Amino acid sequence: MLNVFMLQWKRLIKQPLLVLLFIGLTVLFVYFMGGAQINSTVKIPVYSETLTEAELTDWIERLNKDASIIFEPTDYETAKEDIRMNEIGFALELEEDTYRILAGRQDEQLPVIEQQLNQILTEQFRLEEVRKEFPTSEIEVKDFITLLESQLVETGSAQTQYQLQILVGMAFYFSVYTILFLQISLVEEKRMGTWNRLIFSPISKTKLYLGHLSYYYLVGLVQILLSFYILTNLLGIDLGTNYLPMAAITLAFLFAIVSLGILITALVPSPQSLQVVIPIITTSMAMLSGAFWPLEIVSNRFLLFIAELMPLKHGLQGLIDAILYEPSISELLQPIGILLLMGILFMGSGINLMERVSKT
Amino acid sequence: MIEVKNLGKNFKKKIAVDDVSMYLDEGESVGLLGPNGAGKSTTISMISTLLPPTKGTVKYNGKNVLKEPEELRPILGVVPQEIALYEELSAYENMSFFGKVYGISGKKLEDKIQETLDLVGLKERQKDAVETYSGGMKRRINIAVALMHDPEILIMDEPTVGIDPQSRNYILEMVRKLNRERGLTVLYTSHYMEEVEKLCDRVYIMDHGQIIASGTKEELKSILSNEETIQIQVEETKSEFRDLLSSQEGVNQVLEDEAGYNLIVSKGEQLLGEIFDHAKQANIKIIGIHVKTPTLEDVFLHLTGRKLRD
Ligand SMILES: Nc1ncnc2c1ncn2[C@@H]1O[C@H](COP(=O)(O)OP(=O)(O)OP(=O)(O)O)[C@@H](O)[C@H]1O
Ligand SMILES: [Mg+2]
Repeated sequence: MLNVFMLQWKRLIKQPLLVLLFIGLTVLFVYFMGGAQINSTVKIPVYSETLTEAELTDWIERLNKDASIIFEPTDYETAKEDIRMNEIGFALELEEDTYRILAGRQDEQLPVIEQQLNQILTEQFRLEEVRKEFPTSEIEVKDFITLLESQLVETGSAQTQYQLQILVGMAFYFSVYTILFLQISLVEEKRMGTWNRLIFSPISKTKLYLGHLSYYYLVGLVQILLSFYILTNLLGIDLGTNYLPMAAITLAFLFAIVSLGILITALVPSPQSLQVVIPIITTSMAMLSGAFWPLEIVSNRFLLFIAELMPLKHGLQGLIDAILYEPSISELLQPIGILLLMGILFMGSGINLMERVSKT
Repeated sequence: MIEVKNLGKNFKKKIAVDDVSMYLDEGESVGLLGPNGAGKSTTISMISTLLPPTKGTVKYNGKNVLKEPEELRPILGVVPQEIALYEELSAYENMSFFGKVYGISGKKLEDKIQETLDLVGLKERQKDAVETYSGGMKRRINIAVALMHDPEILIMDEPTVGIDPQSRNYILEMVRKLNRERGLTVLYTSHYMEEVEKLCDRVYIMDHGQIIASGTKEELKSILSNEETIQIQVEETKSEFRDLLSSQEGVNQVLEDEAGYNLIVSKGEQLLGEIFDHAKQANIKIIGIHVKTPTLEDVFLHLTGRKLRD
């Protein structure tokens, strides 16, 4: 079994393009779809006509405690020029007890920003007044800060959720691609006759299948791990530390996919047809399972029912839940169980069918 | 050593092998001859435990190979009809892998690879990917892989198909050596009569899923001992001439091909004069005429009324 397994890796190393391509695509898609959102942390240039430089820096420092908006010092001339050149959408003019927004065009973000600014600045102005009246005492602002924070956590979480969705969705989607495409080699081996050579050798059929299946499984696993590793580092996504449940879901998912591959190759025993069938199956499964968009936006009951039959749906949702809500393994028994059950079903019928075909 | 009894295989409705019985003794070199689609490969697949037969049995030393394949598999080498190799890997890597599958490893594996490469004459190219080899070289590696585990029985399914005469002779010479010097038992499948005549002690002739004749080369040829073949080359063929030949007393069979006619006649008949008369009558120009002693090819022709290769 080990010989067969090692041989497949050797063959992969000679022709690694497919797997590298799919890892590359995962990174690209996630980077552009998920990454674009991160850089949208709003930056606002701030200038003042009346405040001294020190006072302005002081203000900016205080304002920057709020992470969702970054304030940067500038001056009126630069701000005006940048707006004219369309490099920035707007700038903030800050005076001692009032502010103005300098805007060039109607920016779709502006109303939201303005509202947030209003909140922050009004509060700050008020604090400033208080400070002036009681220059010596410490000032505590409890209510408002907590209110503001809770709002920020909320938006941050929507953001993370979106990124996670994209990351897990794409990583799983492309791993399905890799695994299924690699399994074409099984059909090819049967055509080439190398499979037959192995059948009349002393190696048992079980070992022969296990050698192949464990190889597909491991390539899929390596691809998912690599994609996660590269992307979490690149985009600074935090997957948390709920490792055991995450691993359990991923491993069960891979088992179901390898088994699905066996069933597909048993049903379509021609490499050419598989080249066509696999992308169709993979992509439609990804659409139905919520790899491209969250399932929450799907309202059609029939589509949602179909999604339940897709291993990808259970894998995706299971992993995202495992990351977001940090459940224990026992709380994830349902998706894990469904995936294992699907795996056993697909594998059993697939191998059965394959063996029956090879005997007639 | 190997005994095949009433073997048959149906693919759905199609009967690929109808009824085949044969045997292989130790150290023998046996030919299995037959035209395309005769059922040779299917028979071989059943003997080598690849395909379960629809009926009949294959026994190795008295044990049914279907029930106890572990006995036969380690001592059996099979050279498939197609090139069954990982073509993106080198000859060395292919041989090493299949060697390991048979449980050979370490120094023994290395020695065996080099010895076998030497035998097939591909030592210099061993590190190159098989896909860069010529057709003849691929055929030789295809054989080499089957020899890695020192099999006692070697079954070869048309190992020389589609290659140049030089590679072909090399392979034939090699197989002959393996058989004569190492005592390897060989079952050699082919539709090249010359190969089998050169290589094999005994021959089975197969057509339409059945063994239609068997025996030593001499025995088979003696089927035709009462007949000989007259080859007539003509400028163009005419059905009138053919009819005249067919009705001629002493002519048992008339076969037509693009070059002319083959007459199978009773031995000792003096028919040349009559043939020329018929040609004149039919206004046919004879380019050449030739009386032959029978070959295995003629045996096949006689038995089936067809040539081995069209
Ligand atoms: N898997 C299969 N399914 C259906 N029919 C088959 C199958 N394999 C072989 N046959 C049919 O069985 C018959 C015998 O085939 P086989 O390959 O044994 O012939 P062969 O003597 O090896 O011919 P060749 O000299 O062309 O290799 C053919 O008519 C072929 O079409
Ligand atoms: Mg054949």
